[in-house]
Amino acid sequence: MSTIAIHDTHHDHHDHGHHKETFLTKYIFSQDHKMIAKQFLITGIIMAVIAMGLSILFRIQLAWPDKSFPFLETFLGKWAEGGRIKPDFYLALVTIHGTIMVFFVLTAGLSGTFSNLLIPLQVGARDMASPFLNMLSYWFFFMACVIMMGSFFVQTGPASAGWTVYPPLSALPKAVTGSGFGMTLWLISMVLFVASSLMGGINYVSTILNMRTKGMDLWKMPLPIWAFFLTAILGILSFPVLVAGVVLLVFDRSFGTSFYLSDIVFGTQILPNEGGSPILWQHLFWFLGHPEVYIVIMPALGISSEVISVNARKPIFGYHAMVYSLIGITVLSFIVWGHHMFVTGMNPLLGGVFMITTLIIAVPSAVKTFNYLATLWRGNIRFTPAMLFAIGLVSFFISGGLTGIFLGNASLDINLHDTYFVVAHFHLVMGSAAIFGMLAGVYHWYPKMFGRMMNAKLGYLHFWLTFISAYLVFFPLHFLGLDGVPRRYYVFTEFEFMRKWLTVNTFVTWAAILGALAQVAFLWNFFYSIFKGKRAPQNPWEANTLEWTTPVEHLHGNWPGEIPTVYRWPYDYSKPGHDEDFIPQTIPFSQTMSSNLPHDFEGNEEAERIQREWDAQNPPAEQRTPQH
Amino acid sequence: MVTTLPKQTGNYDMKPKKFIVWLFVVSSTIMFGGWTSYYLVFSGSKGKGHGLVLPDVFIYSTLVLVASSICLFLASRAQRKSTALQKRYLGLTFILGIVFAYMQFSAWSQMSLGGAYFINNNAGISMIYVFTFFHCLHIIAGLCLIASAFFGAGKVTAERNAYRMEIASIFWHFIDILWIYLYVFLLLNR
Ligand code: HEM
Ligand SMILES: [Cu+2]
Repeated sequence: MSTIAIHDTHHDHHDHGHHKETFLTKYIFSQDHKMIAKQFLITGIIMAVIAMGLSILFRIQLAWPDKSFPFLETFLGKWAEGGRIKPDFYLALVTIHGTIMVFFVLTAGLSGTFSNLLIPLQVGARDMASPFLNMLSYWFFFMACVIMMGSFFVQTGPASAGWTVYPPLSALPKAVTGSGFGMTLWLISMVLFVASSLMGGINYVSTILNMRTKGMDLWKMPLPIWAFFLTAILGILSFPVLVAGVVLLVFDRSFGTSFYLSDIVFGTQILPNEGGSPILWQHLFWFLGHPEVYIVIMPALGISSEVISVNARKPIFGYHAMVYSLIGITVLSFIVWGHHMFVTGMNPLLGGVFMITTLIIAVPSAVKTFNYLATLWRGNIRFTPAMLFAIGLVSFFISGGLTGIFLGNASLDINLHDTYFVVAHFHLVMGSAAIFGMLAGVYHWYPKMFGRMMNAKLGYLHFWLTFISAYLVFFPLHFLGLDGVPRRYYVFTEFEFMRKWLTVNTFVTWAAILGALAQVAFLWNFFYSIFKGKRAPQNPWEANTLEWTTPVEHLHGNWPGEIPTVYRWPYDYSKPGHDEDFIPQTIPFSQTMSSNLPHDFEGNEEAERIQREWDAQNPPAEQRTPQH
Repeated sequence: MVTTLPKQTGNYDMKPKKFIVWLFVVSSTIMFGGWTSYYLVFSGSKGKGHGLVLPDVFIYSTLVLVASSICLFLASRAQRKSTALQKRYLGLTFILGIVFAYMQFSAWSQMSLGGAYFINNNAGISMIYVFTFFHCLHIIAGLCLIASAFFGAGKVTAERNAYRMEIASIFWHFIDILWIYLYVFLLLNR
């Protein structure tokens, strides 16, 4: 476990990272976790911008279904003939938007970036368990992105069966144009993506379990690490099931098997497939799909825990409860998938079971929420942009989580399923909360990634515009859903009862455009600061965790000398009796005699005795403690 | 001056990497778990499974695979004593692995001759092909690991040799057990 200290004359550690690095090995085929993190982040940001663009396109269609926009035809050609988006293409837009956001941005972009960056830095390791696998993970992800985007350049267009690609629509290449070659590309891309996620996740788990520095026992790990760890476990246990399902779908599509198909009449033609069931796809998909939504939110929750504690200058409230609720969510998320399938003709008893498990999962979620609020309570808050985004996450997690409880009731869900209510639910809790967590992470660890600071003013502008527009976009959708407006419908004017919602749609679209414009502030800030930002000090936020003990200039291996030893948990902020309001994990208790508490020693009697002696010699004079 | 070196030698690298293989084993098990649960739900709702008498070749191929696992075990035991012996057993494992793969394919042809094709309105029968095909992909990966142990033996350090042997063993014994599980599963769920 330890490192060897040797008297060394000929073998300087510095050549550890500086052996012949070319552009190719440094920036492209890098095996350094910090560079791979940046690759994931920048790819994720590019994909997010693309997916956001797609959403603006379909929002235009929703707001002005009868209007012609000639510029659309200029950009999109035959898919927007006459300046109006075609129905097939509308469905493709929705599908690819969802796929990119859920998988490429909020899974790979989020976990890939921050697990890679923070796991070795916060647990005190020189790199990942297998740097090579880590590099492969990025390149599989990159290929998945390229193939997914490639489907826009296919004659029949991208996949269009929704991000959940339910058969039989997705299983019959002739069903809609989007079920043709575009769907095949979608499946190939997803297999690569899953391979990438697995390689990443396996690496994260192995690194966390095997490569922690001296003193870093599990209960001294910062909460982001716990979150990444459990997220990776979720991924390892659920993504393979998606592969299993996808493989069967590929066979149905391309070889003529009947895993998901039965009794299909196609025009006048009766298809030979028999015996399969499309419901089985839904089971396999949602067995991954539900854990997947927690794969998305848990890293964001972990990041927020850290950011909130650092910037409230208070220990995180209920550290153990935070960990146990993450564990609870991890376990429970495997037994709730049926809540996506209440209306598939499921046995009501089974529906009841899924309903109960679903409602139970709200408990650990609520524990986390209360702990965030309690951490903020009477904190000495520093409203950095990262802090604002973390608080934003809490806000969205509450407002989106509450509607989850509505949907978890089978009897309510029968009415609400497949309406805009569901869209509102998951865009608040996932689309907004998880993105805010990711942005909090970007603002917080930018100095660690690029050695420079982002501009705070632009950060505030970005936060407020995004925060307000996210609520303006997603909140009204609840009311459409309660009125029974189904999701994924192409023209609102075609249905009498949906017509009255057109004005709301127009409003929402304008809010979405505002939200999109707000991202310009972020993009400018992000890319400009890489080159021109203020140089970052070593520990800009006065935080306790290990990553801030590494030099600002990156080096392969992270620490120039020995990896620091860890003595305490990461949340000693504003500890009474200490002269500063933070005590890094690397400071031993022997240097903080004035602030040690009995439980700090975890039952080590020798240490307690020394402390008692010290306390006896240094009586806690009233005037010495600044607090009352 | 006093500097420190990360312990780059020896098991510092190996332990986390070995753990990676274990995690791969877990995720692969889950993938097959996905298929077997498909099969259970499918056959449960239909009231019937594949309904075939499985070709006898499967019995023999199972024996061959178990034999290959034993050879690999012997190779592991031999590595300290004699490289030649280790290599001989590794070679035997490799050959038995190939024989196994061949037997799986011949089972396919027997099934097809009997009219139980892959493209079938009984998804249970298609599933037999899916099981065996993806299991054989694992066999190919396992053969690569065994080859790497074979060619490394005697050339790389004893430590690396032990490491490669261990990786190959974990994986190969896993696919052995996996196959037995799948076979028994198919026997029990006609
Ligand atoms: C308090 C906890 C939560 C509960 C009780 C809950 C419940 C539900 C239910 C019952 C549905 C199915 C609605 C339907 O299709 O009729 C649903 C959909 C969804 N939820 Fe949640 N949810 C919770 C938290 C979350 C979180 C934290 C996320 C993501 C970060 C999330 C993401 C989603 C997504 C993406 C869908 C829609 C999938 C689709 O059909 O496209 N949920 N939720
Ligand atoms: Cu769910």
